[in-house]
Amino acid sequence: MIVANTFFTRTVRTSPMVMIALLVVPVLGGLLGVLLPAFGWFPALGATEFGLFGFTELFATPGIERMLLLSYGTSLISTLLAFLITVLILASYFNSPWLKRIQRLLGPILVIPHAAAAIAIGFLIAPSGFLSRLFSPWLTGWDTPPDWLFPHDPYGLSIILGLALKELPFLLLIALGVLAQPEIGKVLKQQHKVASSLGYCPMTGFFKVILPSLYGYMRLPILAVLAYSSASVEIPLILGPNTPPTLAVAIMQWFSDVDLSLRIKASSGAIVQILVTLSLLLTWWGIELLVKKCSASWLTNGAREHGGMIIKRFTDVITFIMVSTIALALLGMVFWSFAGFWSYPNLLPDQFMTMHWQSALTQMQTPLFNTLVIAFSSTLLAIILTLLALESEQQSNKTISAVSGLIIYLPLLIPSIAFLFGLVWMFEQVNSQHTYLNVVFAHLLFVLPYVFLSLANSYRRLDPRFSSVAASLGASPSKIFWQLKLPLLISPILIASALGLAISFSQYLPTLLAGAGRINTITTEAVTLANGASRRTSAVYALMQMLLPALFFILAWLTPKIFSRARV
Amino acid sequence: MKSITIPSLVIEKLQLKQKDKVLLSLDEEIIGGQVLTIMGPSGSGKSTLLNWLVGMLPSSFDATGKLYLNGADVSQISSHQRHIGLLYQDPLLFPHLTVEGNIAFAMPKGNKQDRLDEISDALKQVGLSGMEKRCPQSLSGGQQARVALLRVLLSKPKAILLDEPFSKLDSQLRQETRQLVFDEIQRHSLPAVMVTHDESDAIAAQGKVITLDKLI
Repeated sequence: MIVANTFFTRTVRTSPMVMIALLVVPVLGGLLGVLLPAFGWFPALGATEFGLFGFTELFATPGIERMLLLSYGTSLISTLLAFLITVLILASYFNSPWLKRIQRLLGPILVIPHAAAAIAIGFLIAPSGFLSRLFSPWLTGWDTPPDWLFPHDPYGLSIILGLALKELPFLLLIALGVLAQPEIGKVLKQQHKVASSLGYCPMTGFFKVILPSLYGYMRLPILAVLAYSSASVEIPLILGPNTPPTLAVAIMQWFSDVDLSLRIKASSGAIVQILVTLSLLLTWWGIELLVKKCSASWLTNGAREHGGMIIKRFTDVITFIMVSTIALALLGMVFWSFAGFWSYPNLLPDQFMTMHWQSALTQMQTPLFNTLVIAFSSTLLAIILTLLALESEQQSNKTISAVSGLIIYLPLLIPSIAFLFGLVWMFEQVNSQHTYLNVVFAHLLFVLPYVFLSLANSYRRLDPRFSSVAASLGASPSKIFWQLKLPLLISPILIASALGLAISFSQYLPTLLAGAGRINTITTEAVTLANGASRRTSAVYALMQMLLPALFFILAWLTPKIFSRARV
Repeated sequence: MKSITIPSLVIEKLQLKQKDKVLLSLDEEIIGGQVLTIMGPSGSGKSTLLNWLVGMLPSSFDATGKLYLNGADVSQISSHQRHIGLLYQDPLLFPHLTVEGNIAFAMPKGNKQDRLDEISDALKQVGLSGMEKRCPQSLSGGQQARVALLRVLLSKPKAILLDEPFSKLDSQLRQETRQLVFDEIQRHSLPAVMVTHDESDAIAAQGKVITLDKLI
């Protein structure tokens, strides 16, 4: 393909390189910035000799085994649970209108930030939470809050609940997205029909025909979920035990300790965190192999009925419990945000008031301003880079190479706790003053992959004949880009922007670290408030965290509709 | 022990409707080994008829009438219990299973070795011996079509539906495969319904032909 050499095409051609550099340099630099101190090189402390004392110190920490076990166990069990329930829901409601309804119910959960979800679940299962009020005193006989440790139980059950409830909608929507792709979904549905005409009950047909193919498309997202949950901090920080916490939370505490010498131990911890994540991925792979081996003969043994109705009933119950847990958690949070005096075990607050909202909203102005500025800057950058990179794909007539494709998802696959501290150290070397810029760049690392993921499909699927027709009419590449492709793609671009904003809104660790603790956003405030302070103020902040992304998604969804109506 | 009754598929006073508008009416009896051919342009309700026959009529349609298979009323039985086999224009072999696995999947439960022997015999009869462990994507279009046919036949259906089964094959292959399918239908004495818009398919089937009109 011959492409004119103009400023526009030159910019487009260099854009993939810029994008890759913006992702690779911070991540690899950040890893280096952790790797060096982990092995004892930390000049600021006068430590300039390489050695393993960081690791020795790390493994001498009391409770380190528990930390490791907690990180490993909670993420593995929650991902397994989320995956199993996803499969059960798909199997039970495949070809049923309920699948669409469940999708619509769970879809909005996706945009709820982890911190807000954790706060909501914490409120639900706390001793004086909504759950114990719901069953007291008529069933339990409690007239004072029970003496249980939730949501900070030492076994990490609350973490598992929080992670699983947050991962499940993601996995379900990924699976439904695969089934919605015409070239895959249609064939799978026809194969299901074939199985049905061969006498397989719908449930068995799903497990023997659909699942083996569908799983292949779900593997990467599952591994991403597993990697993320093993190193996330928000949920274990709000829902987890304190003594000891998960490894990721402990690392964060060591890094932010005033005692700088803990930095070496923290860096070693970050390396161990990567190993924990890797071993989780290996575990999953092992389980996969085992299941494959054990199920090989089962797939073709000809058995057609496997208690489909029992599984279906079981799934009905699980789905009901899950949806009502989420609904109760949200409802409870709304009640708390308006609650005056609320004596136990009353189900409803004794009085409702708007005071918490009023006072929180006045204190919220600076964090809200910061949140919006950072989100808009990083999302705008991400959208521009993504559009240019996708346009360069079309001009050079080939999709981004596999390596570059992988690099785009690098920040999502490598535990962020492992490279963010090194990144902060890098920022300090370059410029320590511009904390705003640092935070925007740190957010970009996480916003960009999602924006790219969300836009790439629509951009690549745009009928190439539109451009050919326009070019044959004498339109330049830049005119085609601005006046043809962008207007055609306005809906996906707006949705990708809303997603970018939502991702930026929800960032906790990057904001905290890159901003050196000086930049407060709604999310950092919400996490701080969740561990102490008033439950009512905390509820207001968590609700704000949910309302913001919801607002922008609604805007992104409505805007094109309003414009297209105006045209007609 | 052989069943005394002749295998048959009876469509009794069928009326397929969409929002009170009648799409098609049909009253037919097909006895084992015969092929009823339904012809008509797209949009004439052919696929709706097939969906009704296998019990997968979308809820936007209404149907009155009954379907009898070997004398038993199956109108209200769910599709996986009807024992009506389906052959599509795409072979739709399962990509995660081998050729052997695809056929074994369709066969009734039983002794493992017996089932494997039966598969090998069947493959040999259609000129595919030694292909047991191949993955379906590595076969040619004609070979895939033959495996799909074996898969349906070895599931021991009581009737078979053909949904434009040969439209994706080139003319040489088309004749061969068609002959094979019709021969097997005769040999197993299966009542069959074929939907097609190719005249030559209808002639080759040598059975009754019903032509549907396009509905506006």
